[in-house]
Amino acid sequence: MIADIRTATIEVWEHRELLEQLARRDIKLRYKQAAMGFAWAIFMPCLIVLSGLIIRFAMAQISGQSLAKVDIANIAVKGVGWAFFVGALGFATSSLVGNSALVTKIYFPREVLPLSSVGAQSFDTSIGLLTLLVILPFLGVRLHASLVWVPLLLLLLVLFTTGVSLFLSCANLFFRDVKYIVQIVLMFGIFFTPIFYEPSMLGARGSQLAVLNPLTGILEGLRLSVVEGRDLLHPISVVIKGVERQVWNPWELAYSATIAIAGMLGSTVMFRRLQHLFAEYV
Amino acid sequence: MTDVAIEMDTVWKKFQRGERHDSLRDLVPAVARRILHGAPPAGVLGEADFWALRDVSFQVERGDALGIIGHNGAGKSTLLKILTKLLRPTMGTYQTNGRVGALIEVTAGFHPDLTGRENIFLNGAIIGMRRTDIERRFDAIVDFSGIGEFIDTPVKRYSSGMNARLGFSIAAHLEPEILIIDEVLSVGDYTFQGKCIRWMQDLLKNGTTVIFVSHNMDAVLSLCNSAILLDHGRVAAKGELTKVVGEYYKSGGRWQPELLAQARARTVEFSCAQGRDLLVDPGERVTFEHTITATADSELTPGFFVSRADKPVVDTTYARMRGHPLRLRAGESATIRWSLAFNLPAGVYEIGFHIGDFAGGYHEHQARACIVTVGDDPRVRGDSYVALDLQEGSGADARVLSRAPSGQGVLP
Repeated sequence: MIADIRTATIEVWEHRELLEQLARRDIKLRYKQAAMGFAWAIFMPCLIVLSGLIIRFAMAQISGQSLAKVDIANIAVKGVGWAFFVGALGFATSSLVGNSALVTKIYFPREVLPLSSVGAQSFDTSIGLLTLLVILPFLGVRLHASLVWVPLLLLLLVLFTTGVSLFLSCANLFFRDVKYIVQIVLMFGIFFTPIFYEPSMLGARGSQLAVLNPLTGILEGLRLSVVEGRDLLHPISVVIKGVERQVWNPWELAYSATIAIAGMLGSTVMFRRLQHLFAEYV
Repeated sequence: MTDVAIEMDTVWKKFQRGERHDSLRDLVPAVARRILHGAPPAGVLGEADFWALRDVSFQVERGDALGIIGHNGAGKSTLLKILTKLLRPTMGTYQTNGRVGALIEVTAGFHPDLTGRENIFLNGAIIGMRRTDIERRFDAIVDFSGIGEFIDTPVKRYSSGMNARLGFSIAAHLEPEILIIDEVLSVGDYTFQGKCIRWMQDLLKNGTTVIFVSHNMDAVLSLCNSAILLDHGRVAAKGELTKVVGEYYKSGGRWQPELLAQARARTVEFSCAQGRDLLVDPGERVTFEHTITATADSELTPGFFVSRADKPVVDTTYARMRGHPLRLRAGESATIRWSLAFNLPAGVYEIGFHIGDFAGGYHEHQARACIVTVGDDPRVRGDSYVALDLQEGSGADARVLSRAPSGQGVLP
């Protein structure tokens, strides 16, 4: 197992230039002959924020409150993260099958195909993050010391996404219906991940369940550290309608990190062990 | 470093015939069956299995050139795929000592929307070149390919010959220690072919080990110093070049495969759009239509070949050009259009076809369906390309018209 991870790492490192070339190719093709140009990169995050606003607006109407600027910031921060996850998986899942001409004809470590999809998506997301940087101050977000958490959280998000990408690209090569399952899961996944809402809004039991989603810890961590300026090392509680609710526990982050790392290692091993069959089955 | 560049030791490769479960829905029953009955051992054939390679052993010394010859379905491509690490043998071991470069489907890594320049960097990286190496050799690559001013044009606007020339030039500058070549001499026109042959001879002089798979015996004789003949996955002859090539002709001249007792497909019509026996100018494109009906569900590899005085000149199959067999259900039919530019020397050529299947069985074989005479014209130009186009046909994969490099040109 350790040997699998070692050879995978070495081979991918040796082919880092190929990884770069493939990611460049994907980025170029995405923006070549595209009517929307770079607006495409923030198209999905914008849609997510808009849908989130509608939902929050409806919730605010019912409870007789008004929509705060900070709510927009909350949804925007988590929306960009979610858009990265969905975008990367969308491209990575079909990366092996879509490049079957390469997979059946030329040998190189196949990991670079899903990895380059994640890489290309990272480029789009960087544009989204830069946009956030410009917008957030207008939504009342200030600079906080807690921003030091952001690199770690982004790293975990990338790790988790990469692990899932490796697994799904491989699964889709053997079973072509995986692509459709992924599409459906991602379509409704936004409701099972706290993007439009905070876990605490689901009540005590609900928020415990929401934390089971590994993305919850990462995205909530991003929201709390960027928008609210909280230190993630300590549990955070807020008082809602006179009841004190815990909205953050450092263990959530530890849980997400464990899943992200284990997922990454596990799917690397699986991918390695199956890749000699790719050319035959694709 | 040892003196042995490649060593194959009793390599067997098993393939499965027919459809595999490729949706999750089919996985569960298959896994259940596996758990109940246990996985079949590697050396035993299941009912749907067949051996694509059986007990193949050979050695290639450093600096030698080995030719691999054999008829369609003999296992040549499978052997190459094992050597290039695309497939893993079912049993047996092999070893390659040195950096392996392959000239197989040299345009596989191209993306049509990218320019020639962008594709050089992409394709170079795919076959394992460093960016600095590509930059250093960039001018040489462009120069060798003869693409010139079109280097900043998207390759979708290139002719298939330009495409192949560029692909070949990139691969040619990889400077491998072991070079594996499959059917690349069909690349481009005669001038370019001559350039390729000279380039390979230079490589050999510099001590590169070469594995050369071809139907073109003239090329094998001029390049290689030993050969192996594959027949139904077995090594039928190996060693001295002239002896092995002789064996090939012995079996190949009037070679007639044994037909399956129960044919599952038959030819409705094989015709040439331009007439049955025709005279063409060198380089003229002639189109042949092959209509096939399946009498039972089958996976077919219709083949198309051109021979001259019993020597194969062009020999290719649907599966080789498409990468997968033609799947027809009982009663379904499909029309395949083979289009070939007769960029060949003056002479009489016989056009034949066969309907084979993935397991190497033949349902039909007809060596002389049409005669094409190529007239005497000193201007030989264009690409000696076979283009493949599958028409209507209710088969699942009858969609795109594709032009794939294959087929085999004759050397000047």
